[in-house]
Parts: sequence; structure tokens; C-alpha cells
Amino acid sequence: MSESVADYRTYLDPRVLARVSSLDIRARLIVEGLMTGQHRSPYQGISVEFAQHRPYVAGDDIRHVDWKVFGKTDKIYLKQYQEETNLHLLCIVDASQSMAFGSVAPAGEALSPMEKVANLLGPNEAKPWSKYDHATAITAVLSYMAIQQQDSVGLAIFDNDLKRYFKPSNAPAQWKIITHELQQTPRLKKTNTGRVLDQLAEKLTQRSLIVLLSDFFDDIESIKKGLRHLRYKKHELMVFQILDPLEIEFPFEDVILFKGLEEMGELLTEPRALRQGYLEQLSRFTDELKRLCRGMDIDFVRMNSGEPLDVALSGFLATRAAGVK
Amino acid sequence: MMMEHQLTLALSLITPGFLIAGVILASVPIIIHILNRRRFKVVQWAAMDYLLAAMRKNRRRLRFEQWILLAARCLVLALLGLALARPLACSQTNLAAAGAGRDGLHVIVIDNSYSMGYETERPPARTHLQKAKILAKQLIDRLADGGESVVILTAANPASVVIAQPTYDLQNAKAAIDRIEQTNAGTDLSGALQRALQIAEDQPAALHRRLYLFTDATRSAWDVPQADLLHQLGGQLAKLYTITHFNLGRQNQWNQSVLGLRPQSNLVTTRFNNEFIADIKGFGSSSDATLQWKLDDQPLPGGTTIKPDTQTPPQVLSQLSIRTGGPHIISVSAIGHDALPIDNIRRRVVDVASELKVLVVEGDHGVGLMSGSAAFLTLALAPPTEASSQGNAKTNSAIAPELISDLELSNKVLNDYRAVILTNVAQVSAAQADQLQQFVQQGGTLMLFMGEQVNADNYNKVLLPRHLMPGPLTKRMSVGSDQKGYSFDFNPYGSLHPLLTIFRGEDKSGLDTARIFTYWQVEPSGNGVERVLDYVSADTTHSTTSTTTATHAADPAITTQSLGSGRVVFISTTANADWTSFPAKPAYVTLMHELLLGSVNSDDAWMNIIAGQPLFLPQTLKLTAAPSLIDPTQKPVALDQTSAEGGQLIYKSAPLDTPGVYRLTTGTNTYPIAVNPPADEADVRTLDNNAIKAALGDINIDLQGDILPPESDNIDRGNDLGWTVMLLVLLLVVAESFMAMRFGHYRRGTASAS
Repeated sequence: MSESVADYRTYLDPRVLARVSSLDIRARLIVEGLMTGQHRSPYQGISVEFAQHRPYVAGDDIRHVDWKVFGKTDKIYLKQYQEETNLHLLCIVDASQSMAFGSVAPAGEALSPMEKVANLLGPNEAKPWSKYDHATAITAVLSYMAIQQQDSVGLAIFDNDLKRYFKPSNAPAQWKIITHELQQTPRLKKTNTGRVLDQLAEKLTQRSLIVLLSDFFDDIESIKKGLRHLRYKKHELMVFQILDPLEIEFPFEDVILFKGLEEMGELLTEPRALRQGYLEQLSRFTDELKRLCRGMDIDFVRMNSGEPLDVALSGFLATRAAGVK
Repeated sequence: MMMEHQLTLALSLITPGFLIAGVILASVPIIIHILNRRRFKVVQWAAMDYLLAAMRKNRRRLRFEQWILLAARCLVLALLGLALARPLACSQTNLAAAGAGRDGLHVIVIDNSYSMGYETERPPARTHLQKAKILAKQLIDRLADGGESVVILTAANPASVVIAQPTYDLQNAKAAIDRIEQTNAGTDLSGALQRALQIAEDQPAALHRRLYLFTDATRSAWDVPQADLLHQLGGQLAKLYTITHFNLGRQNQWNQSVLGLRPQSNLVTTRFNNEFIADIKGFGSSSDATLQWKLDDQPLPGGTTIKPDTQTPPQVLSQLSIRTGGPHIISVSAIGHDALPIDNIRRRVVDVASELKVLVVEGDHGVGLMSGSAAFLTLALAPPTEASSQGNAKTNSAIAPELISDLELSNKVLNDYRAVILTNVAQVSAAQADQLQQFVQQGGTLMLFMGEQVNADNYNKVLLPRHLMPGPLTKRMSVGSDQKGYSFDFNPYGSLHPLLTIFRGEDKSGLDTARIFTYWQVEPSGNGVERVLDYVSADTTHSTTSTTTATHAADPAITTQSLGSGRVVFISTTANADWTSFPAKPAYVTLMHELLLGSVNSDDAWMNIIAGQPLFLPQTLKLTAAPSLIDPTQKPVALDQTSAEGGQLIYKSAPLDTPGVYRLTTGTNTYPIAVNPPADEADVRTLDNNAIKAALGDINIDLQGDILPPESDNIDRGNDLGWTVMLLVLLLVVAESFMAMRFGHYRRGTASAS
């Protein structure tokens, strides 16, 4: 990988992105970083449909020459394509209080090229990178990419209820609306994923690709019921479970008073002794969620909000490409 | 039997303070635990469900792990304290005492006899005793306050208890040591050891007992006549104590001492010049000493310089004329530069008499010249001068006999006389016998001569039970008129009784040629009867009272024995020529004088006492007022009345310790009282450690010099459980680490949480 590619890869690091306050800038940086890092982007293979032929003129890309016509007529024509707009992408983002949890600190004093750019673009609030930040970054990126392809993009934000809902649209302003909403929504309530998914299943009239981003700290039965409802409506689903590194590793040492978000009470304990049991419980829940998704033919991705986003997004794009073909 | 087979485990601690510290420190993990529960970080946590689920599932296990870890950490600290406290397992212990924390008995015996006043350079101590006191206090400083008890004994004669009951107040014990004074008495080591033995037997609960002996290891202290007693005590003490001896003596220490001072004769008189004998010895490599004689504190001429050693012959002061009667003080000093000056001078009070009053009781007056039973004797005791034969009853003899008949005996006050002589007295009444017995017991001398009138049955019934006879009179032995008779078993070159010393080498004294025709056979029955002369066997002897022919070689002729403070002299034949030809011999006069003067007590014995002994005022002393006594520093000494053996009240002082001349006032008269250090303490040559050990019966004893051994040496390593407990601590630490890792209670690094 060249040096320039390596530099762009840094744009995918949450610690760097955390220094950028503007979500749309985050999204553009991610996409640029993502595209530069891909040799053959699945982006080229989707939403492209044949429209007409036109004569070749000097300077045209010979990759688009229709060699069959040339063989029959000895004339060089180029194939022209018309972009499709039949994909409806709906991003459902969990904006409950638990998603506000984040421990990924912004990058330090040694500024990377990205940090320099970020400093030029806006104030540096330097807040920890939360799971919600991770979810909104992914949502913004997917929305940006979809808009670029003339696909329709919609957004649903929920906590214990459906707070915001924007029908999928391919209007250029849709992306701005989405990023704005993602930044404005407060995160104070409990989650009720199942009920929200039921509501959305009733609202959606067209088959859509639904991307659900949450930590899924909720009742598994309720989630199961909502997902089944969406699948019943023939929607295609992708589930991103976003967890913070602290939640995954649980590396605490001293006696800690854990104050539960979403009114979960509190617990004073010595975490070293409880670590094994906690990780077992978390793993059991994640495995159950994964098994549930697999059973409904739903793509499931567990994301660590401390890790770069490219791996997860690349995997998503590859999956989508395979689905189109 | 069951009790005997029960295994008892008990501990004593060398440094119990560490155990207390360990127990206190054991609470630290608990405090940290509590503080940690109060000092915590707060984390807003999203995945609370899983945390709570994990907590619900593992609550019991977590609690158990927490408690077991906490217990392990507390135990580590407590055991660490126990290990540092150096626990000792003891076999002769009980747990009750251990529980009470009072487990050690330390008996300290300090010799404060006068030899411990030996001066040597050992700053800050000047004498052996001062050094011993410093060491003893340092020893006490090593004891655990409140855990070990101390008893302090002193070994000066008489051995005494400074602290009788074991005290746990160590400061008090040290103060008691400070109060121990240098005495001028001898050593009573066996007495002190007997007390130590009694104390150990009275303290059966003590976990361990230690006996510390601080002496100067001198011959006078350890090489004593009561060697068997020391042997026996050593064996008994070794079973009850761990014994340590501290030798304060210096290897080359030496001393010169005036051991004794006495008149040549028991009668010191104004009539003649007198001789005094001083025993001056040097022990060790002594230097020259100049002798200085004094009479009533006035120097006498004739001082010489000698180099005393153990073989130095007695020094004699002769031709001392004392003009006035009554008590006088003779002293002799060995002026030198030894380190123990207290015994360089010795004083003697002599009661100078103008005459020796003797009561002669004549049982048979006789009818002719010199036929009385005491006629020869009276003449022999006070031979007249030539002038007396011309009508002046003058004699040069210091003896003043008073002749009475046996009928007058009851009217006499016997205490006016120094001796009473019974010659051929037929019989003695019980009352007279009581008077005589009391007279002898108080220091008088009784001489008994036999004779024709003596009623053997009366003597055996009256005098013998009162110990006024050497034995029962069994048979009157006589020879026929045609026979030579018996003779005294006297060899001027052989072994002689001290009373006959004057006859040594005298071939013609007449003692060997004197003939005895009749005598009373007596069978000495008491152990204290000394034979002065026996009868030699005759070729043929015939008894007039018995037809049997017998050999009487072992029959005693003259015996002497002690009774109380006085003596009894028994002569089995007559004092006149009735039964023997001896009165006609030249030796008769001399022998009678020797028998009398050698037997009478000097009247001054009570005025000469050894340091540490009390003064007893004799009953014969005439008091015109309540007696008073002042010591050499003019301080009054209390005199208390006490009951004597016969029930009479006599005056007695407290033990007089300071050598010198005391003054006793009895109203009109004042008597000097001489107090001298004991002669048997003068030999300051030290014994080696083996001899000390041997003196105590070769027991197991720790023999130290004049410094305390390092404290660690006192630890009985064989029973020390310190390292075992330390090993347990290490194992517990390993177990704690393993459990902490296993239970997940260990730190892996720092973690940040918002």
C-alpha cells in the first residue's frame, strides 16, 4: 500500500475522527479514505444500467467500447449507462442513553495529517468517541454513498420510541438533513427496540435495505419480535452491534461504582473479580443475537467503536455487491 | 496416666511485642478493604444488565473468595508478627501461663560478700559488685516488660532475698538491684541457691526459669567445706533452671589479709607480759606489707615488713605488758597496696584480768597435811612464792583458787568464777547440777576429779544426763599394792593433744613415769569427747573390786568436751596422791595449769564478732541501765530483747556489718566490741570455669565472663519456631498470590474509565 493510501487510512480511525466535530466532514473523510484504500471498489458495480450507444470520440475510455457492435458494423460505439434509483436504504440508529457511552479518547498531542485538517476545519471539542458517534459516522457514510449513487436514503432515530423518521429519498438535500438530525438528537431515554421496529415495519411501504445500528442492550425477545416483523415485510436487514472497547474488554481494576445508564441502577464492586462473569454474560448475549440474525438471514456485524471503520464498511459493501450480482 | 500421655504444646515468646504488632497489623487488610469500599471511582455504565447478571450468578463465589483472600492477608501479617516474636516451644510449660503472657522466671543471685568489693578498673564500675549490678540491670533490660518476672537474691552471709515474690515490675527490680549494698560478710552461696531452689518449686507454672549467678568465682566463695551441699543443689537446680554464671573476678587478682588475731593464752593478765599471734596471709601474687600493731589505737613498736603468702607463719607480738585490767583493743594492720583493703586490719578485744578466779570444791578434807582431796591441786594452781612461806601469802600465779567444802557449793554464785573444780565430791544434787550445767553453757569450765567418795550412781544419774560427764562411770579400776600401777600413754615425740603441746619433747616431765593405782573406768559416749591422755596397759593388773584380770589400754585418763560455750574436763583419778603418784611429779603443776587455762574461755569472746553476725549480750553482763550500742561512725545500733534457749531474756543487736570498733554502754561500764570481716572470704584467687562447673556437680551451665553474651545467644535454637512460622508465612504469601490470580483479584495494569 502506498504512503498516500496509508495516510487516508488514518481518516478511518475513530480517535482521529473524534477530533472532527462536523459529521458531514467525518463522512466525506471516511468515504475518501475508504475509496482510496480499495483497489476494486464494489461501488462501481452497483446501480449502473445500460441506456444507449454513441459514437466514439477521441479521448473516450476504451473500457466502455461495445466490441460486439464493432465486430458486426466495424464502427466504434460506446455503451452509455443510466444510473438506477431503485435502492431504498433506511438507517435505523439507536439514540438511547446507553449509546452515549464512549471511552475512545481523541488522538494525543502528536498530530497526524488528519488532525491538522480537522483543526483547520473546525473547533476541537475533543469529546470521547461514543458508540453513538460510531453509529452516526457509519450512517452518514452509507447515506453519502447512497446519495452519490442516486439511491434513496431514509433515517430513523429511536430510543424508547421512534423519535425521528425520514422517508427514503434521493434528493441531494437528503444527506444534509440526515447528518443534521443525527447531530441534534438528544440521547437520554431507554431503549425499546422491538416496538420501534414494529412501528417502522408498518411505516415502510417499499422493500428496503435496512441498516440497524445499536448496542442492543435490550430485551432479546423484543428485538427478535421486531426483526421478524421487518423480515416478514420482505425487507433486507443488516444489523450492526456497536460496543465500546471498555464494554468488550472490561479492564477495570479498582473498586468502582457502576451507575447504570437507562435507569439500570448501580453496583459497587471489585471489577477484577467480576470480569470473567461479565464477559461470559456479554458473550452469551452477543452469540444469541448473532444466532437470531443468522436464523432470519440477517447480516450481523459486531463493531468495536475503538477500531477503524473501514473493515466493517468494506465488509458491508462487499456483502451488498454480492447481493446485487 | 491419661494426663501423662497428653501432648501439651505451649509457647513462649522472645520478643512478644512483635506478636502484638502482628495482631494489630492483621487489621490493616480489613481497614484497607473498608476504605476501598469507601473510596471508589464512579463509572456511567451501559452494559449494566450483563454486569448485574454476572453479579447475581457469582455473588456467593465472589464473597467467599473475598473473605478467604482477606483472611489470608490478615493471617500473613499476624503470622509474620508471630515469626518475628520468635516463639519457643517448651516442654515444661502450661498453656494457662502462656495465655497470661507471663511465662518467664528470672532469678538473679548477686554475691555481695566483701570479696566483691575488690577494686578493679572497669569503668564505670569500680568494684566487682558494681559491675555485677550493671550487668544484672542490663539483663533485666532485655526482658519482656510484663511477660517475665524477676527475683533478686544476695549471696552474702546470710543469704537474703531482696525481692521475695517474682515481680513483673522490671523497673522495681532494677531499683532493688541498685539498693544492694556491699557487705563485709562472707559468702553464703549454698544458702542463696537453696532459696533459689525454693522459689522455683514455688513457681511451677513458669514456662521457663533462668538462674543467673553473679560471683567473683573466688575460692572462698566456691571452694567451701559444704562442697557436697553445692553438688547436690547444683543437680537439683539444673532440673528447674537454665543456669548462667557470670564470673566477675579477674584472673590475677590478689589479696593480703589479716585472718586472725588472738592471745597466746586464754588468760590475758596484768601480772605477766602477754603474747599475741596474728595470722597474715597473702593470696595470689601479693606485694610487701608492713605490720603495724596497736594497743588501744596506740602504735606499738616492732612493726616489720613481710611479703605474705599462703605459707606465711604466724606473726607474734611478745612481751606486751598491759597495766590495767578490763577490755582492751589489740589490732594489727598489714599496710600494703592491695585492691581489697577491708581485711588488711583485724581488731581483737581482750578482757585483761588481774587473776583467774577458780572455785575448788573439796569433797574430802582429810586429816593430815596435804591429805585433802584438793590440797595438791590448790597448791599447784597458785604456788606460793618464797615470801609466802615466810608468812606472806603471795603467789605469782594468775590463778586465784578459792577452796571450799562440798557443803558450801550451793551458796556460791558460780558466775563469779571462770572455773569450778570438783575433787572427790561424793555426790551432787540435781539443783547443783543444774547450776553447774548453766555455768558451763555460759562459758564456764568444770573440772571433775574422782576419788574414794565419788558415788558413781549419783554421777551417772545427775551429771551424765546434763552432759557434764564424758560417759558413764562403769568400774573402778585398781592395782594391787605390789604392782607398778597404770601410767599415762604419753610420748613426748608422738601425737599430742593440744593441751599437752607444752610437753612436746620433754623427756623428763614425769608424765610418763607417773603411776596411777586406781581410777574410774569411763566409757566416753558423746561424739565431742576428746581424749587428752589414756592409760597404758600394765603388765599385770589386779582389781581390788574385781577378781578378773583385764587390760585397760583404751581407758581414758583425761578427757575434755564442750558444753554450750564452756568446757568440761574429766580426770578419772584423784587430784591428790590417794590414787596416783602424779601430784609428786614436776609435770603436775604444769599440766593442771594447761588443763585449766586451755579450757577456760576468755571472757571476751562475746566482744569479738564477725561481720554479719549480731551481738548477743551475755547474761552474766551486769546492766545498770538499758544497754546502748554505737557503731564505728557513732551511729546508734538498736538492741532488742529476745528469748535465749533457756527462756531468759537477752539483748541482741541486728547483724553488725561494718567492721571496726563498736561501743556498748551498760550504764556504768563501756565495752568495746570488735567486728572483723570473715577470714574465710580472703582468698580471692579465682577458680576456672571447669572448677565452677565441678563445684555444682558438673551440671549443664552457661559460663560467662564479665560481659553479657549477645542477646541472640540466649535463644534456645532447638525450640525456636520462628523460622517454621516464617516458612508458613511464605507459603501463605504464595497461596494468597495464587488465589488472587485465580480469583481475578490482581492488577493487570491501569485502565481508564470515564
